[in-house]
Amino acid sequence: MLITGIRSKPVYAPLQPDLGGRYHVMVGYGVGAAPLSRLLGDFGQADPEALARTRVWYVADAASPQANADAFRAAGVAELRTFTAVDALLSDLTTDLDQALMGTRLYVAGPESFMGLVMRIAHGFNLAQDEVRAEQCGTLARRVHCIHCRETIENVRTNIVRCVCGRWLVVRDHYSRRLAAYMGVMVDAEVPGERPEIKEVFL
Amino acid sequence: MSQSHADTIPVRVVAAEQVTPQIKHFTFAPIAGGELPAFSGGSHIIVVMRGAQRVYRNPYSLMSSPNELDNYQISVLRVDPSRGGSAFMHEQVRVGTELEIAHPVNLFALAKLARKHLLLAGGIGITPFIAQLHDLRLTDVPYELHYATRSPEHGAYCELIAQAEPQRARLYHDSARRFIDIEGLLSGQPLGTHVYVCGPAGMIARVLDTARALGWPESHVHYERFAAPPTGEAFDVYLQKSGIDLHVLPDQSLLEAIEAAGVDAPYLCRGGVCGFCRAEVVSVDGELVHNDHFLSNDEKASGKAIMPCVSRARCSKLILNL
Repeated sequence: MLITGIRSKPVYAPLQPDLGGRYHVMVGYGVGAAPLSRLLGDFGQADPEALARTRVWYVADAASPQANADAFRAAGVAELRTFTAVDALLSDLTTDLDQALMGTRLYVAGPESFMGLVMRIAHGFNLAQDEVRAEQCGTLARRVHCIHCRETIENVRTNIVRCVCGRWLVVRDHYSRRLAAYMGVMVDAEVPGERPEIKEVFL
Repeated sequence: MSQSHADTIPVRVVAAEQVTPQIKHFTFAPIAGGELPAFSGGSHIIVVMRGAQRVYRNPYSLMSSPNELDNYQISVLRVDPSRGGSAFMHEQVRVGTELEIAHPVNLFALAKLARKHLLLAGGIGITPFIAQLHDLRLTDVPYELHYATRSPEHGAYCELIAQAEPQRARLYHDSARRFIDIEGLLSGQPLGTHVYVCGPAGMIARVLDTARALGWPESHVHYERFAAPPTGEAFDVYLQKSGIDLHVLPDQSLLEAIEAAGVDAPYLCRGGVCGFCRAEVVSVDGELVHNDHFLSNDEKASGKAIMPCVSRARCSKLILNL
């Protein structure tokens, strides 16, 4: 099958405090609030002083009540920023990492497409695997890059998707960190019109 | 994948210059003419020295420009007491001497995606950086070099560095009580910086400890040690697969003794860091003396593996699965 067994597919793990870090930046989107709250609790247990060197940036969505922000504030972090749009958070993150010092750790929690966008920025600053931790939660809907017309399609939940260029694409596990997207490849190139059944697979 | 060491390159010494009382600079050209293999800054070569009694194979950083391949240049610090290699280079090797070298290997490469490079050199540890500076000048990535020596007289390449890098290099001399402020430097570097250190063991340890304390992840910290294999007591070895008995002299490394017995054992760094020469221990009737920086503490304690390039045994018989 075209879409499985590919090693570029990102691997995520539950967030854990990295006490070796000197500064901590946590970013979350929507349901990502839960792992961040848990992480802050773990920090409070393991090294409460680290919270004074911790910043939390969070994008609320309809599914995540404002109560999250209050929980973050209660943890006593050095800074809390809330955003109403992912783009605004990404823009601030880019500005901020440009000024950040070595010793910074980045923690990301949220839907997979959000993490891809954050990780792309992190890679741009040459953050390595031992500086970034990511926990996926919420939807697995994908950003898909059409390898034929190079358009990016957001929020893809199905194995087959139609691109704006008119082609039907099979969504592969082949992931580009640079594009923060999975590759979509024309599915009926050999026999036009012959397509597998469309199923919702990225829920 | 095992590198064949039969595949060495014959070279001739075309220049030999005493640059400080302890440091000699050599230029090698290929006897066959043409160009030597391409390399990147940070690479080392192994120089094969055929002494009267023994063959020495010592690693030296290439310090010439990776863009000029008609010659390779190295610097040799005379170690006192020498196990033989550095004394051989200082006393026996002169213009016209023919030597063999192994192909360059880079275990101290610049990180290609770094946003900034911070280079810390102590003494003879400047040599890999001299080659890297040639590479760095071709990029837009910021870098700075901090070069510490005992005194201006012992700073073999102070003048060269000061002229080549007036903006980006800073020199320090112990004699003037000027030391690199390692903590100050490491605490204020932008995200995405890589630090590289090459110099005396104490300096490397200070940089690694300070970096860790300041939250630097291992992936951004690079070091190269110049350590001769430690000496010790003599011991006997049996190579089980080859069916060979051999004797390791007090000032000989286990790897050298294996090679002297005619076994083409694998190696790359000859400094206990790369892991390439790892050998399986079948039994030892004493204790292993681990001097490498490759095996984990658990592996060292298990007594199942040894790095013959720098480690030895305090025993009467060591049996290896070689």
